Amino acid sequence: MTAALMLDGLAVDFSGFRAVDGVSMAVAQGELRVLLGANGAGKTTLMDLISGKTRATEGKVLVQGRDVTGLREHRIARAGVGRKFQIPSVFSGLTLRQNLEVAQSRRPSVWSNLRFALGMSEKARLAEVLELIGLEAEAGREAGLLSHGQTQWLELGMLMIQDASVILLDEPTAGMTQGETAKTAEIINRLKGRHTLLVVEHDMAFVRDIAERITVLHLGRVLAEGSVAFIENHPEVKAAYLGKQGIA
Amino acid sequence: MAGPLANYRFWAYAGLAVLLLALPLVGDEFWLNRVAKYLCYGMLGAAVALTWGYAGVLNLGQGLFFGIGAYAMAMGLKLKSYTSLQQGSDQPVPDFMLWNAQPGAPTELCCITPGSWLWLPFQWQWTGVIVAVVLPVLLAGIMGRIIFGQRISGVFVSIITLALVLLVRLVVVDAQPLTNGFNGLTDLGWLTVAGHEFDPYAKGTYYLVAVALILVLGLSRILVATRAGTILQATRDSDTRALYLGYDVPAYQTFFFAVSAGIAGLAGMLYVIVSEFASPSFLELSFSITMVVWAAVGGRGSILGAAVGAILINMIEARVSETEALVEAWKAIIGLLFVVTVIYLPKGLSGLAHDGIARLRMRRPALRLKEEAGQ
Repeated sequence: MTAALMLDGLAVDFSGFRAVDGVSMAVAQGELRVLLGANGAGKTTLMDLISGKTRATEGKVLVQGRDVTGLREHRIARAGVGRKFQIPSVFSGLTLRQNLEVAQSRRPSVWSNLRFALGMSEKARLAEVLELIGLEAEAGREAGLLSHGQTQWLELGMLMIQDASVILLDEPTAGMTQGETAKTAEIINRLKGRHTLLVVEHDMAFVRDIAERITVLHLGRVLAEGSVAFIENHPEVKAAYLGKQGIA
Repeated sequence: MAGPLANYRFWAYAGLAVLLLALPLVGDEFWLNRVAKYLCYGMLGAAVALTWGYAGVLNLGQGLFFGIGAYAMAMGLKLKSYTSLQQGSDQPVPDFMLWNAQPGAPTELCCITPGSWLWLPFQWQWTGVIVAVVLPVLLAGIMGRIIFGQRISGVFVSIITLALVLLVRLVVVDAQPLTNGFNGLTDLGWLTVAGHEFDPYAKGTYYLVAVALILVLGLSRILVATRAGTILQATRDSDTRALYLGYDVPAYQTFFFAVSAGIAGLAGMLYVIVSEFASPSFLELSFSITMVVWAAVGGRGSILGAAVGAILINMIEARVSETEALVEAWKAIIGLLFVVTVIYLPKGLSGLAHDGIARLRMRRPALRLKEEAGQ
């Protein structure tokens, strides 16, 4: 079986500075992979390379076996890569339902969208996702009026309904309360299996809640890869990132 | 979504349509001619709302498309003018070309002045009608592909469009032998359709403009209600998010930019039919900015609101300019109105109306429940 996401010697050179320097990894279908690393380790840049925001200078990105290296952002998105940014971004002037409708559209061109109604199956799926993210009651509200946590969940819902096979999440719990973090973990755990996830996260309690395997980046390279327990006891990881205290 | 009849927006559009079609019952021809010009401005307001309100793209050069529409129609009508047939040629030749011709140049449209052959297709009046709409759409398509394709946004789009309209104005003023320069195109003939002449001071011409405005407003409203319209508004709120959902954002922006340009071209074309002149003043910056003021006061988030804003402001202006003391003060009043609207009524008059209706519904829960049941 091909890996859902395969990186092969991925590197980017910002006029001499190699933010990502030959990263290779394979994420299996339905797996949830956590990316760890200190500030500047190249986590966000790696996501930029996968989603097409930044162009790789070396190496390849394969999504479901298909080479998407160097494609433009919306083409990569259509190839099945969904991305959530660190700062939540939703369509603030549209209602929650409209946000999901936009995310749901299977046809990207202007001409094919000069129509109105959703199909029955689309409506059903929309209702299902609203329930999954627990925002049924807010469906008619403007997204700009949602709380921070609700905005994050809406964005997760948009990734779900987009039906991306590979989802990139950049610090999904940033700025959340404990209660909100727990609910986010629950939503993310439901995504496992159906979607393949790559998550950047710092909150170790949260990481333990969701992670199967962890990849640690350091100075743009893969330092270690393995289970939570393996990473927690890895001497080089401790030295490079966690310090002497171990994982808090 | 509720059926159209349960939606107060539908009734707002229907109300305006009935009002516009009923106006000839109460006004004389001269007044109707004046109102018809304002209806053309109403189209411009709607065109600005479409890009500014729905796409978040502030075009400060909308006058470019209006100007192209106006000049294209004026070229067609100039050749139908009585004077154009009196220049000693079998074919019509615009009088100003004779004044600008080199001594000894043949009095023929093909070669009387450098570039005068460009006028040849306009001997057929429909060339003017078609070019008035198609050229703005094509030009906007190319501009959009370049501007939005480069991910240029915000104030930079405004600066580019602003510079472009000024550039074209310079060219038009400079190309005197071709465009009559600063004087513009005056002394035009009438559009003739199937034997009917559109006399600018006849009710038929008013109806032509009124029906065109109603169609433009209705179709634009339907267009923004489609999924493509929703996606366009999504790109306005976050183009990055839309991009990462797989949408070719520049394609959406370009599409609606071109539609807006086509509406402005149509408005320019109808304006010439009504006012019987085209002038480089259409390409002045102040005119394009005035359009933005109309849309802001009427409400840029509403196509109907922006159109009504344009019509109302011009009606008031006409009334005010009859009082001599207020003529000069009017510009200050308009400026002040704009500032006050932007600060206190960011959604314009239509936003005020929406809020008012929402508040009424809060007070009448029975009505609200009924509507929700209908959804």
